[in-house]
Amino acid sequence: MPNFFDLNVHAYPETDVPVEDMLRVAKRYGYAGIAITNNDDISNGNNVSNSIFRGVEIRTNSVSELKRKIKLYYGKVSVLTVHGGKEEINGAALKDFRVDILAHPCGEKGEGELSHVMVRYAAENGVAIDFNLNAIIRSKRSDRARILRKMREIFKIVRKYKAMPVITSNAHSVYDLRAPREMIAMASLFRMQKEEAVHALSGIPKGILEKKWKKEREVEVI
Amino acid sequence: MKNRERKRYLVFEVISEREIDKRELLKEIWRSVYSLYGDVGASESKIWLIGYDKKKDGDTGIDVSEGMGILRCAAYKAEEVRAALACIHSVNGARVGIRVVGISGTIKGATRLF
Repeated sequence: MPNFFDLNVHAYPETDVPVEDMLRVAKRYGYAGIAITNNDDISNGNNVSNSIFRGVEIRTNSVSELKRKIKLYYGKVSVLTVHGGKEEINGAALKDFRVDILAHPCGEKGEGELSHVMVRYAAENGVAIDFNLNAIIRSKRSDRARILRKMREIFKIVRKYKAMPVITSNAHSVYDLRAPREMIAMASLFRMQKEEAVHALSGIPKGILEKKWKKEREVEVI
Repeated sequence: MKNRERKRYLVFEVISEREIDKRELLKEIWRSVYSLYGDVGASESKIWLIGYDKKKDGDTGIDVSEGMGILRCAAYKAEEVRAALACIHSVNGARVGIRVVGISGTIKGATRLF
């Protein structure tokens, strides 16, 4: 069985759930590791171990602030995530090779957009595109239909340009976590094949943590 | 034997904020299946809750209430039912998380997963 990772988990101090509890449940569900991505906060840094990775989720409304924050966190975290949704934020994040993951590009209510051009930037810059399953779990009826439609559209483009999809839970409590098999079953709701979903939960997150798609670029910079 | 449709028995585990009732849980499972697959999909899934019980002593090691149950469904709908179970986030106001522990073709095999 491959090693599964969930790279978008929120825990204490952003929520009242301690990191240890999250990890305990995640391990029980069969994850090899989780990344704690609190909004604009890396104070959980002392907790890093083999299975907890330090991450951050940058949440902002302006591109200039986004650039400033990327610069601030780059190099300090294993997973640099940008909270997507607004079109200009999505675009700016995908054009920046320092970003690891663009989280929920279609927004939490399915309001965001992602064009072909932007996904091509993502593939070039090694920025993974996140499919946040919590949005499906927490929404219903027309909201859920809109989110699923957006996810299906985005996933089609992602597949076409060979960009990297990741599946995350965006969990804020232990009840939001779902086991890998359940995540794979839910990914089929937006027509993601089983093999693709397994890769988006294991191979791609592992590559992100190892900075597999960033190495060439870093050599260029030096 | 051939005329009978093949079934799957899903053994699932629930963690919840507080103890949940079997009937409430079943209601929520149906609601989730209806919401995801509609009336037609729900009728084809042939869901039947065989049993659900709370665990006396939980083993997650954190302060949650735990339970386990067996759900029967049509074999070819097992993955869809799994997705529907995963989409349940609360039962009667209490936050829950459901995980399928194992799937078996017979009820005897399913009870072995406990």
